[in-house]
Amino acid sequence: MSRFLWPILTGAILLAIWWIAFAAGAFPIGTIPSPPAVAAAFLDEVKSGRLLADTIASLYRVAWGYVVGVALAVPLGLVIGRSLRTREALMPWVNFFRSLSPIAWIPFGIIWFGIGDPPAIFILFLATFFQIVLATAAASASVPKVYYRVAEDMGIRGWRVLAEITLPAIMPQLVTALRIAIGVAWMVVVAAEMIAVRSGLGFLIIDARNGLRMDLVVCGMIVIGAIGIVLDLLFARLTKIPSVRWGFEQ
Amino acid sequence: MSDPILDLKGVGFDYGSLTVFDGLDFTVARGELVVCVGPSGCGKSTLLSLLGGHLKPSRGELVRRGVSRTIYQSGGLFPWLTVRQNIAGGLPRGTSKEVATKKVDEWLEITRLTDFANHYAHQLSGGMRQRVEIARALAGETDILLMDEPFSALDYQSRQRMRKELSSTLAERPRTVVFVTHDIEEAVQLGDRVVVLGIRPTNVRKILELPTSRPRTPATPGVAEAEHTIMEELGLT
Repeated sequence: MSRFLWPILTGAILLAIWWIAFAAGAFPIGTIPSPPAVAAAFLDEVKSGRLLADTIASLYRVAWGYVVGVALAVPLGLVIGRSLRTREALMPWVNFFRSLSPIAWIPFGIIWFGIGDPPAIFILFLATFFQIVLATAAASASVPKVYYRVAEDMGIRGWRVLAEITLPAIMPQLVTALRIAIGVAWMVVVAAEMIAVRSGLGFLIIDARNGLRMDLVVCGMIVIGAIGIVLDLLFARLTKIPSVRWGFEQ
Repeated sequence: MSDPILDLKGVGFDYGSLTVFDGLDFTVARGELVVCVGPSGCGKSTLLSLLGGHLKPSRGELVRRGVSRTIYQSGGLFPWLTVRQNIAGGLPRGTSKEVATKKVDEWLEITRLTDFANHYAHQLSGGMRQRVEIARALAGETDILLMDEPFSALDYQSRQRMRKELSSTLAERPRTVVFVTHDIEEAVQLGDRVVVLGIRPTNVRKILELPTSRPRTPATPGVAEAEHTIMEELGLT
């Protein structure tokens, strides 16, 4: 029960501070909106259907970029992690690209893919791909050798070693990486939508700013944060899967 | 007498410039339980890797007439599988589903793990984990079982119990076993023969035959004498 009670209580306190400060005239006009103005903006956006449409647009882009990124990154990470040569040759470069903010790719995204969903999905793909390759490869490289010896005794060979030994052995670390990556992807989509597209929660914020609608900006920020929490809670559930749980209980 | 299942003639092994083994000679007969003891660092685990075919000798000849499975000190179980799935994974390839279920049930019973079939490795005690390891390895119906200090991570009482259990399990499902340990007491309690290894470059210092049948306790006649002989050989007296 206190899992919900405390956050609600602290949220109420923060809201009260904001409200009182606003009422006391602590903020110069136009810099921070009042809580009722934000609530009104929220209701307007919900009624017009724009908030839902923008949320769906953002989630759609994240889903594509993230799923394609993970689907390509995990097999590559497994192969890189299992072979010392490929690891030595590729890891510094994976690290190089991972360190590049995905936002830096936006000019290329627009030149290569035009405007609309494709450049945003491309940016999200990059945001996911290099992180997951790195995490998968690092985890694969540290799988205890004894598992491979046992697998060899059991006659498990070739690609089946990756599928039946390496992959399940790194699942706990991979789940943690997936959870971090979805958070990063969600942050990146907002940034990408400020530049390349005309829909989504990032666009909602930049569009509201252009109209000096700070109430709408805050409304967008609250929705983004709330969805971020929901995504994280969903991914946290992956750690409860029986064949993954061992990594968190040992 | 049939050919020995394991036959080592002048086997040598080098790790880079380090000679681990030199001129290693001994044989293991079918159905025999041979224990190799030696001081730490004499290459006991390397010896099992050679016997199991995970490493190739640098010199000499090593003949293995059969398929082997290795049981490790600890941590050899797949933590993402349940006890049942781990044991099932040990069954020979191509075992049908019905047969597999039946066989795994048998092994669970032999190792008294029926109630823990759906547990994961990290939910078991050290002794239980080693019982699963033994069941999984034996379920493979391979000819040779290689055991790498399988009980060394256990406490004294669990170790005693596991030795007894291994003996009774082997009585039920005979297998050729090579067991390496640094524990002299364990060696003389379990072995039909004990191969005493020297220090690097390691070779065979002495081979001891244990006259009485298993299971043996520290009080079984001959056990104390054998222990003494080994300790002498290892320069511990």
